[in-house]
This record gives sequence, C-alpha cells and structure tokens, in this order.
Amino acid sequence: MFATILKSVLRQMRRHPLYVGLNMFGLALGVGVFLTLTLLVRYEYSFNAALPDVDRLVRVDTHWTMPGTPPGEVAGSTFRALPFLREDFPEIEAGTRFENTELQTEQDGVFSSFVSGLTDPAFFSVFGLKLLHGAPDQALAQPDGLVLSDHAAIRLFGTTEVMGRTVRLNRNGVTVTHTVTGVLARRTTPDLFSGIEMMAPFSSEDMTTRFCFLSWGSDCGRIYLKFRRAGDIDAVSARLRDFVMRHAAGADSDSHALGTHPEKIFGLLLAKLGEARFRDFHVLYAEDGVDRTVINSIGLMGLLALALACANAVNLATARAGLRAREVAIRKTLGASRRTLLVQFMGEAVLVAFIAGVLGLALCELLVPEVASLTGEALVVRYGLVGVVLPLIILVCGFACGIYPSLILSGYRPAAVLAAARMPSGGRGAARLRDALVTGQFGIAITIVICMLVINHQTVFMRTADPGYVRSGLLIGSAMPGHDLAAQRKMLDALRAVPGVITAGFGELAPRPDTKNLGTYSYDRPAGPVSVYLLQDVVSVSYFEVYRPRLLAGRWFDAAHGQDDLPPRDEAPTRKANVVLNAGAVSRFGFAAPDQAIGKIIKSGGMTARIIGVIDDMRFESPRQAIYPEIIFFNTLANQPFNDPIPAVRFQGIVEADMVRRLNRAWAGILPDASSDFSAVDARMSAYYSGDERRGRIFTLGAAAALLIACLGLYGLAAFAAARRVHEIGIRKTLGATGRQIVALLLGDFLRPVALSCVLACPVAWVVMRRWLAGFDERITLTPAHFLIAVAGAFAIAILTVLGQTFHLARAEPARALRAE
Amino acid sequence: MLISLSHIQRLYRSDEVETTALLDIELGIEAGEFVAIMGPSGCGKSTLLNILGTIDRPTGGSYSFGGQELTELGEAALAAFRRENLGYVFQSFNLIDELTIEENIELALIYRRMPKAERRRRVAHAMDHVGIAHRARHYPSQLSGGQQQRAAIARAIVGEPRLILADEPTGNLDTENGAQVMDILQRLNDEGATIVMVTHSPSHADLAKRRVDMLDGQVVISVRNAI
Ligand SMILES: Nc1ncnc2c1ncn2[C@@H]1O[C@H](COP(=O)(O)OP(=O)(O)OP(=O)(O)O)[C@@H](O)[C@H]1O
Ligand SMILES: [Mg+2]
Repeated sequence: MFATILKSVLRQMRRHPLYVGLNMFGLALGVGVFLTLTLLVRYEYSFNAALPDVDRLVRVDTHWTMPGTPPGEVAGSTFRALPFLREDFPEIEAGTRFENTELQTEQDGVFSSFVSGLTDPAFFSVFGLKLLHGAPDQALAQPDGLVLSDHAAIRLFGTTEVMGRTVRLNRNGVTVTHTVTGVLARRTTPDLFSGIEMMAPFSSEDMTTRFCFLSWGSDCGRIYLKFRRAGDIDAVSARLRDFVMRHAAGADSDSHALGTHPEKIFGLLLAKLGEARFRDFHVLYAEDGVDRTVINSIGLMGLLALALACANAVNLATARAGLRAREVAIRKTLGASRRTLLVQFMGEAVLVAFIAGVLGLALCELLVPEVASLTGEALVVRYGLVGVVLPLIILVCGFACGIYPSLILSGYRPAAVLAAARMPSGGRGAARLRDALVTGQFGIAITIVICMLVINHQTVFMRTADPGYVRSGLLIGSAMPGHDLAAQRKMLDALRAVPGVITAGFGELAPRPDTKNLGTYSYDRPAGPVSVYLLQDVVSVSYFEVYRPRLLAGRWFDAAHGQDDLPPRDEAPTRKANVVLNAGAVSRFGFAAPDQAIGKIIKSGGMTARIIGVIDDMRFESPRQAIYPEIIFFNTLANQPFNDPIPAVRFQGIVEADMVRRLNRAWAGILPDASSDFSAVDARMSAYYSGDERRGRIFTLGAAAALLIACLGLYGLAAFAAARRVHEIGIRKTLGATGRQIVALLLGDFLRPVALSCVLACPVAWVVMRRWLAGFDERITLTPAHFLIAVAGAFAIAILTVLGQTFHLARAEPARALRAE
Repeated sequence: MLISLSHIQRLYRSDEVETTALLDIELGIEAGEFVAIMGPSGCGKSTLLNILGTIDRPTGGSYSFGGQELTELGEAALAAFRRENLGYVFQSFNLIDELTIEENIELALIYRRMPKAERRRRVAHAMDHVGIAHRARHYPSQLSGGQQQRAAIARAIVGEPRLILADEPTGNLDTENGAQVMDILQRLNDEGATIVMVTHSPSHADLAKRRVDMLDGQVVISVRNAI
C-alpha cells in the first residue's frame, strides 16, 4: 500500500509540479513559522519557571498613591523593610535584597562594564541557583566575595576555572579588589537573573549611609522572599497594611518615616515570581516585563500561519480532487473499492504533509537563530516540544487535506463523472468551500498587514517623535559621583574647553534616569488648594543651550538674576527659589494656559517657589509611560554642589564617535577612576524602545510569512481556476466575448471573496490596534491610510495573480482552448 | 457572394514537425446556401470551419465576409463579428458544465447589449424550436447526447445569426436524433440562414444544397445537389 501511495505522490509531483510544489512549500513555510513562534512563546511562558521552588518566591513591590499622580506599582521596595518582614512573619523562610547595577572592572586603565547585582549573603538560600564552582552559603559571605556567570568568567579570564582569582572593581569612583568565590552554572530556561554577569555583596558603607537602606520613602532595589509554604503568601499579603502602619509611621520631622499615616500613600505588595513576566509589564521599573497580549499575538500569528498553510493545502487538494475524478471513476469502474481509494488518498495527503513537516522543521532550525538574535533572547530549538507538536501537525494537517478529496472522490458515482462532458471541479459545494477559505485567508492576511503597518508606524513614530528637546548633537555622560563642588566646576570647564563643544551643562536628570527625586508641592488655587507630586530636577547654567527645550511662557533661568539660584539647603526652613515647570505640571495645578502660571507661588515644606517659566514636556523615559509633571531648579554652582550631576554636551562639526572619545578623555583628566560613558540620547533610550521594536520585527516576520502563504494559496487557486476554465473561456470567446470581458469575468469571480475579506478584516484590525495603541502615552492615531494601503495591496496582489494566470488565456485563439482538455 | 476564401492556408508548427492542415483553399459561399463538407478524417474540415468561424486564424490567404476582409481585423473586432453574425455547433457539444441548459443558451446573447426580458424570450423560443424546453433547468451532464446536441444548436441559433457553422452535428447521434437535427438545420436554412456543415454521413450531406469534398487540406470537388 505504502509503495502505491509513494508512487502516486511522485507521479503527482511530476504531472503537476506547480500544485504539489505550492502545496508543499506553503505547508513547510507554515509549519516552520508555527514551530519557531511556538518556541518563542513557550520561552516567554517559561520565564522564571525553572527557578527552584518558584511558587514560594515573591518580590516585594511598592504601591504609591501620591497626589496628582495616578497610583502605581513599582518593582522594588525600600531595603529598610526586610529586617521587619523577617521579624514579623515567621512564614518567611529567607529573604534577600538585590540591587541591579552595572559594575566596572578596571584592568590597566581600561574599564569594562558588567550587568551586575549587589545582594546579601542570603541570596543563595532564597534562590537555589546552581554554582559551577564554589559553595552557595559561602559565595557571598565575605565583603570582597564575587560571583561570576560563566560568560563573565570567560570574558574576564578565558576560562571558568577562576575560583580565588582577583578582580579590580570600580565602585563609586573607588577601586576595590574582589576575589572570585563562585561561578554560576549556565541555565537554559530564562529567569530574572539570566542577564546578570556579576554579583557582589553590598558594602557596609552602603548599608549605613544610603537612603534606600534607611528610609521608608526611598528604594533602589528589590527584596525577594522565600516562603515556607506557597499557601502563606496571600495570608501575609493581607497583613502588609498593618505592617506598614506599624513600622513606616513616624513624626513629620522623621525624614526616614512616612508621616503619621503612611498607609494612605504607601503600600507593600507581594509579586509572585512565577507570574512576574507578564505582570511586570504593568509595573514601573520592572525591566523584564513583557506584554502578554503581544506574546499571545505572536503565538496566534504562528497558529494563523499554520492555519493559512493548511487552508491552502485543503484548497488545492479539493481543487485537484476534481482533476482526478475521471481517474478515480475509471479505477472504480475497474473494481477498486471505496476503502482502498480512501486509504490511498488519505495516505497521499499524510505523506505530503510529512514531507512538508520535515521541510518545516528544517526551516525552523534556520529561523530560530534569526529570531533569537532579533529578540535578544536565548532561544533554542527544543526537541521535546517539537517531538510532540510536529507529528500532531502532520497528522492533523494531512487529515484535513485528505478528508475532503478522499470522501468526495471515493464517494463519486463513476457514471456521473464519466457522463460529465468536462473535468469537474468538485461540484458547487467544493467551490463554495474554496471561496470561504480564500475569504478567510485574505481576511487574516489583511488583518495582519494592517496590524503590521500600524505597529511599524508607531515604532518609527516613537523613535522620531519630538521629545521636547533637540536630540541630535547632544551627548550625555554618566552621573558624576559625589558632591565635590570644585570637581564639578572643573568638569564643566574641562568639557566646555573640548574643541567642537558648543557648551556643556549639568542636570540631575537625563534621558533614562537612574534615580529620581520626587516631592509634593501645593498651590493655593482660588478654587481651593491643590497638591501635585512633582519630579524634581536641578540644572546648571547652559542647560537650556545644551538640551534646547521649548519655552512656552515666561523666561528661562539667568545667572544674572540672583533670585534664580537655588539657595543652599542649610538656609532652611525659609528657602525661596525661582523655578521652571513643565507643561504637565502647569496643567496638573489647574492653570488653563502656561502663561497663567507665571509669577504664581507653589510651596513644599519650607520651600516657597515662584514660577518664572514654563517649558514643554521633555521625554526622558519610556514612550509607554506618561511624562511626569516636573519642577526645575537652577544651580549656578556659586555656593553649592549638585547631587551626582549628569553632564550633557552640545557639539557641532565633529563626528559623534570622535566627540565621544574627546569627551571621555576630558572626563578622565578630572575623574580618572570613574567611567564617563558619553553617549547619544537614542543609545541611552534604546532600552525603552528595543522591546517594542524587537517584538515588532517578529510580528513583521510572522506577518510577511502569513502574507506569503496566503499569496501562494491565491496563486495556486488562480492557476487552478484558469486551467479549469480554459475550455469555458474558449466557448465564451466563440460566442463573441472579448478578451477584456473574459479577464473581467475571472477577476470578478476572484475579487468577490477578496472584497468580502476586506470588509471582515478592517473592523477586527481596528479594534485590535486601538487596544494596542492605548498602551502608549505617545501614540499615532489610526487613519484610513493604514487600512487603505492594506486593502489596496490585497487587491493589487489578487489582480496581478489573476491577470498573470489568465491574460494569455484570454488572448489565445479560441480554437486552441477548445482543443485542450 | 457572402463568403469568399482565397488561397487559405493553415500550417501547424510544433517544435520540429510541421503539419499542413489546409493547403490552398478556394471557396465561395452565397447567402442562403446550405453547404455540406465531406472528407476523410484529418483532411482539415474542422480547421476550415474554425477559420470560417474566426476562432482560428489562417497562416495565409484572405477571408472576406459580406465584402469585409476579416484577416485584417483585431481581436476585439473579431469578437464583435462572431457575436453578431455567427452560430457555432460543435462536434463535442461544448456546453459549460457549471451552467444550466437555459444559461448555456443565454450565453450567446449575454455579450450583446440586450434587455434581460428580450433574452429570456429568445432563449425560450430557441428551446422550443429544438424541442428541449422541458430540460431548461437541467445541467448538461443530466442530458442525453441528442439532447445536448439540440441544446448546442439552440445556442447557435438563438442570436439569429447570418451564418451557422456545424461540425459533425449528427456525429454522436443515432439515426432518429440525427434526422431531427438535420430537420432543424433545413428549417433554419429555409428561414434564410446560411449553413456550413461538416459531416461524414452521405445521406445527411445529400440534404444540403451543395456538397464540398476535401482531401489533404484542399477542396477537390464542389457539386450542387439536384433538388
Ligand atoms: N493544434 C494542432 N496542432 C497540430 N496539428 C493540428 C492541430 N489541429 C489540427 N491539426 C492537424 O491538422 C489536420 C487537420 O485537422 P482537422 O481537425 O481539421 O481534421 P478533420 O478533417 O476535422 O478530421 P476529423 O474528421 O477526424 O474531425 C490533422 O492532420 C491534424 O492532425
Ligand atoms: Mg473534425
């Protein structure tokens, strides 16, 4: 039997290379894309899943409810809370603090950066990560201990046998020597520490001086807890409000506490790590978060690609069934049983699906590394998954393609087929099925194309949208550690002296800020007082010329106005300052227009601030996030230093790379022990966009595949329809139809399902894309253009396909067509 | 002279082989004639009919119809010519499987500008004429060979053409059905249509007004039947 099936498939390939080729290629493409995207989706869903005891692990998050700002969850909490949590809740088995940071190694004056974490010795009792070398309970016990990933070990030393080797680390501008006490074993499933290359213990200085270890209102990292029983997590969650009231409350004068009613603004939440991947998408500062809808859409796209390919195969198979009707009728006349024929056709379909499946797997092997590099994820082909999915696809697909032809063909009454004058096309039922499939296919393809257009448009828009300042010709350095007034003055002077630099300035904020300072300010409106939680920035002379923000009203700071300079802190409690607000802050305070805010007074604690100017919002963070309402102070560096100021430089007439080199050299002249890292705004902000861009690219890839598959299907069908109608066209022409009328007739038949699919696709795409765009603070509006382009494209493809197939037919001498059978 | 063919030649070239289907045809047909073409299989009868019907182009010679030279006309003009002047009955019926008998017949009118009602009336009349009105809603595969041939004739006459071309219209039929078809053709001829018919049956050829014998792509004899 198998030999018969094989022979028949081979003969089909020889007789109808176009149909079989289209069928096989389309199916292989569908299978390849489906497998690849399924692997990607599985990868995302398996995030953190392989961490030992993941169901007992949580991250402590903070929920802020500040005036003038929508309440929000922040990934991370004050380190102050950990000892109290351990004390109050015996359900907690272990806990550790973790601060994501970048550590710099220094070798002969060359700095290299490593993605790193500072943590507690208890880290390995919370996370049972395996060590290639070293003992988990000892690895971080010593203050100079250092745990490397196997990657980092190889990057530094070229081997993983590095226990006891020393590494010189630059921490806060000071060089300290650490000894390697552990090497992490490589993990194949992704988790929140996948990117970490180095781990070191917190320094005791950090723990005694840094705000985030001491104050309830400050955070710089995360607390991870391991519970004794997974079931305890919810119970403890419910008791955290009382916990906050017990520990975070304090007198207004206590700057480490949160006032008498901390629970009104501050809450703690337990975020389960097993669910963190998708949940984190809605959590501020959770960099690993992924939009579940996007991942599901990618999975859906894979499924659609497969479905489209299957639909194609079914379509072509039913179409071709007609071609074989005569053969079948003759076979039956000669005595073949219905069962034999059924097995024969089913077997052929499954065999074709099998070959396509193998080709698809090969395609998947080619695609996975591409997708891995597109997404930046460590994606590999997992044969465990493929081994289950692929045979299933082959069987289902083969069955779907085989069922119609085998039932129809084996069910034909031979007499009816032989009596028909010409080759039958499978009857009206089959024609309707084919129309429905074409409509479905094009509907899906058009939906996907519209989505792709909108996503790409939005991605480009985010990249190029006006951020409120001038990006080109702007370079930004690392924060200068410390409060050294003289060094800060020298740094600005040195940077300004670099040839090519127009001017340089400081700000405490910059694109992609590490730390942010927020404070509550109130304004006595005639209608009643209003409080707004404002992001605070302090800027130097020349800042305006460096960033070139847009002034909407009033004036910018001027060193000549003594009032503009922020008075030093020790002059409290009656500090007075002139400030500039951004447009967002002005509208939160309830001013109808920027110029109405000029001259008004806002207050915060002992500070009285007079608004002298309003600038447009400047985007320093993710386009998904709303821009903070902001207050800007001025520091001329006359009396007081900045807090870790970030230098920025406007330059002209020099290639960026050269400028960066010169600036880094100028910085090294002042601060040789810290890396300067001057970089452009786009480079600093790329982390905000890259996730969307990478997933956009995957979406584009899937969309292109789906489109190609749909076109293949259409092409095959057009070819089939044309071949089937050669004879009819001959008759029609004999009866006086012109070539144009023939083309119009065929086009009409083909475009009807395409038109219907456009009608179905547009509303679906509209709903889906509106929902997607709603996730961005800065977004494009959906215009008819997005839809028209896709629809026009679909029509163009359909028309070209039909024309390509029918043009020569419509022109041929009818006598020839009538002869062809 | 309604039709005049002079030096008509038709070569088929496929790769290396060259077949001469028509060598040098000289033939004139008056309006109202009923011509039967006879000859052995492969002598070029269908080819000649195809050229008369303008569904094939001669490789040489000239063909004028009602004084108009057809070999010089373009695609669209030829389509219009067929639409207005020709009715074609094929040896193998050539009905479209997906259309009903009624729709198949209507097809001959659909490419003319004609109101729907007028088309319906003419189709009904043509079906009556050949006696298949009771099968109007059937598909071709549901009809007998004789019925299909009559439907094909109905399609050929529904446009009231000046010239009817019939390629072995009785070839697939039994004696009785064949006689019926000949009857219809004679009646049409009496009503004024010019008919050119290919046939292998001498008795059917005798029913025509003139008989043309062909051999190897040439006309050998042309005799007027005595009636
Ligand atoms: N498309 C073609 N390509 C090559 N040769 C052809 C083609 N059409 C017809 N011929 C050849 O032209 C010759 C005449 O064919 P034609 O169909 O006119 O014969 P016929 O007289 O109608 O025969 P029959 O009585 O069998 O129908 C034949 O030799 C045939 O092989
Ligand atoms: Mg013939």
